[in-house]
Amino acid sequence: MEDKLQELVVELLGDGAMEYFIGYRQGFEPSHVVPCFVTDQSEADRLIWGPLCLQNLSKYVLQARDLDGKVGLLVKGCDARAIVELVKQHQIERDRVVVVGVPCEGQVDPRKLEQVLGVPMEQVIDVEDAGDEFLVTVGSEVRKIGKEQVLRDKCFFCKHPASFDYDYTLGEVQPFTIDGDSEEYDAVEKLEGLPLEERRAFWQKQFERCIRCNACREVCYGCYCKECIFDRTAPRWLDRPPLLRENEMYHLIRAVHLAGRCIDCGECERVCPVNIPLGRLYKKLQKDIAELFDYEAGMEYDTVPPLVDFELDDQDPFL
Amino acid sequence: MASESSDEGGNGYEPKILVFACNWCSYAGADLAGVSRLQMPANCRIIRVMCSARVRPEFVVTALSKGLDGVLVLGCHPGDCHYSEGNYFTRRRGLLLKNLLQFVGIEPERFQVRWVSASEGAKFADTVEQVTEQIRALGPNRPRSGNQSAEPGDR
Repeated sequence: MEDKLQELVVELLGDGAMEYFIGYRQGFEPSHVVPCFVTDQSEADRLIWGPLCLQNLSKYVLQARDLDGKVGLLVKGCDARAIVELVKQHQIERDRVVVVGVPCEGQVDPRKLEQVLGVPMEQVIDVEDAGDEFLVTVGSEVRKIGKEQVLRDKCFFCKHPASFDYDYTLGEVQPFTIDGDSEEYDAVEKLEGLPLEERRAFWQKQFERCIRCNACREVCYGCYCKECIFDRTAPRWLDRPPLLRENEMYHLIRAVHLAGRCIDCGECERVCPVNIPLGRLYKKLQKDIAELFDYEAGMEYDTVPPLVDFELDDQDPFL
Repeated sequence: MASESSDEGGNGYEPKILVFACNWCSYAGADLAGVSRLQMPANCRIIRVMCSARVRPEFVVTALSKGLDGVLVLGCHPGDCHYSEGNYFTRRRGLLLKNLLQFVGIEPERFQVRWVSASEGAKFADTVEQVTEQIRALGPNRPRSGNQSAEPGDR
């Protein structure tokens, strides 16, 4: 896969089909993957692909907007939806992006892997995809770990492992099976089933921990506003100290701003330093939007987002 | 903002309710209620907006977070919007926001949307009374816990 990727990038850079390519490379540890920006054919051999390539790279396309020439991008099926949304939201032009789709068969959640292995990620040398399980190399030992144990939450319910709109693909996605019978909205429904008081207690406990580092905003593909409402000083929406009151506001406002645009890439939850289950907040909106307005973000170019659209016979509980 | 509002827990508790009223229907409705000398509780602070769709979700979230006891958004009846379609957007947004607020544990009564036309002075008075009573029954908005010691306005 990596050879194929590197060859393709060399070829595309060579014949001028694109000027830049954004992919993944190994970071300071073997288990640590970081984004890689390739501008020259000679750098293409740094590109890698594997179950630890977690980042959603579409955010970086926004920074390439002002550059000349096309920008190439390695995307998983889920990340490709961000590109669709960015085009729909008029943030990028589709013909300026070269979308290289990679067949993704599930990503590893490092936090889960650490727990299962009992060793820190620094000691993990390699993680390889092998159908229904991952081959994890720790020291000189290779261990087989079932996918259901360490898969990222979002990968359990991956409905669209490949996008409809790739310029190039590196292969077909091989289906795999995972044990367990959980449903996509289980976590949300469990919370919805709780009494109001308990829900409040749950979320207050989560929001209280927030240190407002803004990592969830910075990593989000949808947060491209030149001036974020939270950074504004006049009017100042948000006071600076990370109090529960302000944190709650921050997360709720961010959630409604992303309603109908969130593609459930799970980046906000992944980067959160205090492990707030933000995914559940966004999943709730996603669920409501699917149920009320029959809409899913990032699936098609020609559907109108639900909040800039209406039907005369929409549900009306406000008489 | 909140510090002067609720005499928390005491018998003299008066909820403080923020009302966004659309200029063309609901604000005129409120005017009619006043001109008709209808009796209604004085817990509402009305902000006139040009359309109910002007009310961004952050208005509501901010008001509730900063300690107001309830937010009421009033707009024209669907189909009667001065701008043809503004309130249809309000309807969708309101529904989503209401669900989201409930999901994080805020009582649904604290955020309400109603349609009040310019001729419905009585409905305006009824709505205000109803909402005030519902919120009075709920008590002050979210007794603060945890790291909530700072007063609103402390910077």
